[in-house]
Amino acid sequence: MAISLALRATVAVAESSPTTADAPVSGDALVVGSIGDASRLLPILATDSASGDIVGLVFNGLLKYNERLEVVGDLAEAWQVSEDGLTLTFTLRPNLRWQDRVPLTAEDVRFTYQKLIDPAVLTPYSSGYELVEDVEALDERTVRIRYREPFAPALESWMMGVIPKHLLEGEDLNTTSFLRRPVGSGPFRFRRWKTGELIELAANPDYFEHRPHVDRYLTRIIPDQATLFLELLAGQIDLSGLTPLQYRRQTDTPRIRESYRKFRYPSFGFTYLGYNLTDVRFADARIRRAFDLALDKQALIDGVLFGLGSVATGPYPKESWAYDPSVQPPSADQEAAKRLLAEAGWIDGDGDGLLDQQGHPFRFTIMTNQGNEVRRQVAELIQRQLRLLGVDASIRIVEWSTFVHEFIDKRRFEVVLLGWNLSRDPDLYDLFHSSRTGPGQYNFVGYANPEVDRLLEEGRRTFDQPARQQIYHQVHRLLASDQPYTFLYVADALPIVHARFRNVRATPIGIMDNVIDWHVPLPEQRYKRMAP
Amino acid sequence: MAAYLIRRLLSMIPVLIGITIISFGVMKLAPGKPTDVMLDFNPKASVEARERMEQLLGLNQPIHIQYLTWLRRVATLNFDRSFRDGRPVTEIVVERLPITLTINVCALVLILGLAIPLGVIAAVRPGGLFDRATTVLVFIGYSTPAFWLGLLGIAWLGVALGWVPVSGLHSLDAESMSLVGRALDAAHHLVLPVGIMTFVGLAGLSRYARSSMVEVLRQDYIRTARAKGLPERLVLFRHGLRNALLPIVTILGLSLPDLIAGSVVMETVFAIPGMGRLFYDAVMARDQHIVMALVTIGAVLTLLGNLLADAAYAAADPRIRVGKSHA
Repeated sequence: MAISLALRATVAVAESSPTTADAPVSGDALVVGSIGDASRLLPILATDSASGDIVGLVFNGLLKYNERLEVVGDLAEAWQVSEDGLTLTFTLRPNLRWQDRVPLTAEDVRFTYQKLIDPAVLTPYSSGYELVEDVEALDERTVRIRYREPFAPALESWMMGVIPKHLLEGEDLNTTSFLRRPVGSGPFRFRRWKTGELIELAANPDYFEHRPHVDRYLTRIIPDQATLFLELLAGQIDLSGLTPLQYRRQTDTPRIRESYRKFRYPSFGFTYLGYNLTDVRFADARIRRAFDLALDKQALIDGVLFGLGSVATGPYPKESWAYDPSVQPPSADQEAAKRLLAEAGWIDGDGDGLLDQQGHPFRFTIMTNQGNEVRRQVAELIQRQLRLLGVDASIRIVEWSTFVHEFIDKRRFEVVLLGWNLSRDPDLYDLFHSSRTGPGQYNFVGYANPEVDRLLEEGRRTFDQPARQQIYHQVHRLLASDQPYTFLYVADALPIVHARFRNVRATPIGIMDNVIDWHVPLPEQRYKRMAP
Repeated sequence: MAAYLIRRLLSMIPVLIGITIISFGVMKLAPGKPTDVMLDFNPKASVEARERMEQLLGLNQPIHIQYLTWLRRVATLNFDRSFRDGRPVTEIVVERLPITLTINVCALVLILGLAIPLGVIAAVRPGGLFDRATTVLVFIGYSTPAFWLGLLGIAWLGVALGWVPVSGLHSLDAESMSLVGRALDAAHHLVLPVGIMTFVGLAGLSRYARSSMVEVLRQDYIRTARAKGLPERLVLFRHGLRNALLPIVTILGLSLPDLIAGSVVMETVFAIPGMGRLFYDAVMARDQHIVMALVTIGAVLTLLGNLLADAAYAAADPRIRVGKSHA
């Protein structure tokens, strides 16, 4: 019965979607499955992705990225960067209102900034605003921000959600009840939150772009991957991320093919092998290049991600304007790698199949964090590929906190297998600038290249997009040749969405970018009995 | 008896303080801080931001000061706030407790109702067919991982047959239901998890009931009861079962803390926001106020449970009543 219904539904899709540009009707609910619960629904405090997802739908920043990863206005309809790069002036859209109908003004932007730098507020984002000299509300709709130094990533920092002054002034932001029933300016209004169970949002009828067609946005919290997938099979979840195995094999059933659509696009992040450059062996760039040559990254992608990823040549995904397409991944070449290692003094002197130098075999440990099955498998494949080269790598998997504080912070590692999820701005100062090697900072491999330092500093000072692009292309090339990391792969994001939703598309910014345009034709609408 | 109870209650205080000192110490020994979840590997969070947050949360104080601050608050029953979402710990626990309590009480009642008859009937003819069959059955339950049974149950009863909801506690439209409708909806959601917990939990209690009954049935007074010609029903239930239940009373007293301790595995598989997941998530996030609150509550209940078991045992068994012979 279920199958025949689903069949009829798909037939209807096939008939209607290509020809009639079926006018969107309102209604229905989008049920999203999430592994984790949110914690604090305030943009300046939200650190986990579950909170971030909800906050992104309830609040707006001054700016945002469009689907081509260009900076465009969100609350701001226009903005200017002064000639010297020291002043940003934003003009808000006219007639902006908070969801409680109170006007949203430049004063709210100033208030948001004050809270971001307030030492009593538990925000981890304060460092993005250290260079701000002052923020002034020139009139209701104009904000002027002055910087002590030009700071190009500042544009991205103003994508931070603006928070309402009239509701939060005088409140203790760390504990206010607003954190659990936020009021924003975004396309969805907060409706209810049952801790550990669900978060419900409703369409904001006054949203400045237009009212979202879907009435409700529900996040169901299902902490177990397997259960989440079973909910999907039972048709109870409309949107969720898949694992590569689920994407390739387990969703290949008639029932799923008929009632769901799968999407695939590169995620903004990469997995890498990071070398401790204070180790004499890894301080030698020839050894790092040899590993880069020897490791067959496509084999990792095919073996572990079922082909759902792409080979990384540097820190940027192909969609980023900072990615330099001239950097080609080396084709896996064991012989060339062996020659490089021999050049660096590593040869198999005693014929035991392991390279050695002064009687010491080439041995080290690859560390990675517990709880990431993909990383464990990647480590095992790398171990095998390195063994063919005559290098003996062992694997050690450590619980996350211990890993970070006992090994990374204290530099007690030889090689780590990790990943970075990066923001869309190509600034990599925190990862590769030589001043960022202290405890708790992120250049923990200890990379120092004066040329890269200079470029990273210049990139932060340059607002002009073509000039910035030149700078980051150069950074990309230098990192690819220095190999402080062996860049392994960019995994694909693999969302699945119920087929009754129309207008769903995958873009480099993600699938949710145009969620306010998603709609369900009336006969297919499923949740009609939602409480008002 | 009253004096004995008061003495026992007072002696619990130093034990409790000892437990909290050790728990606090162990938690502080574990690497990582509550702020890690927000800051670790977040390139947007600078070292200064990290230090500022640690200072705001009092995490840069020496451990003994942190402990004393905590103890002072707890003495007034204030368990402070969660680091994760800034809410009072008491509020969070009160939100979760009824869920776990409902599930555990349901499961316990079912286990008692099934395990004792199973054990008793098996004990009448030890080694008989019924005994062997139930032994195999309860040990299958005991030795099967609960998460696997749970997933199997979901895949079969929830997905393939569609008889029960896959996971969660309420339907999405539960808000628009009547009170009765909502209760039935919740009960529908609980059938599978409670059923599986019962099956998994049968082994322990039914084994206890069986061995205790077997033991009792060997006693001289049972032979006497039979010799004086009492019907077998009276022998079994009046003379046998009543004595055999004594050890069960102890076990029930000791299981008091289990009532509020949710099963992490079951709660995760069935997406139920109960105490087990609260504790697990708190440990993983190093949310020490929640961890300490739950450890303290657990310790109090364990100590009270022991006391209750002793008292109940004394009430049920005249031979071990306190103070009679020594007074």
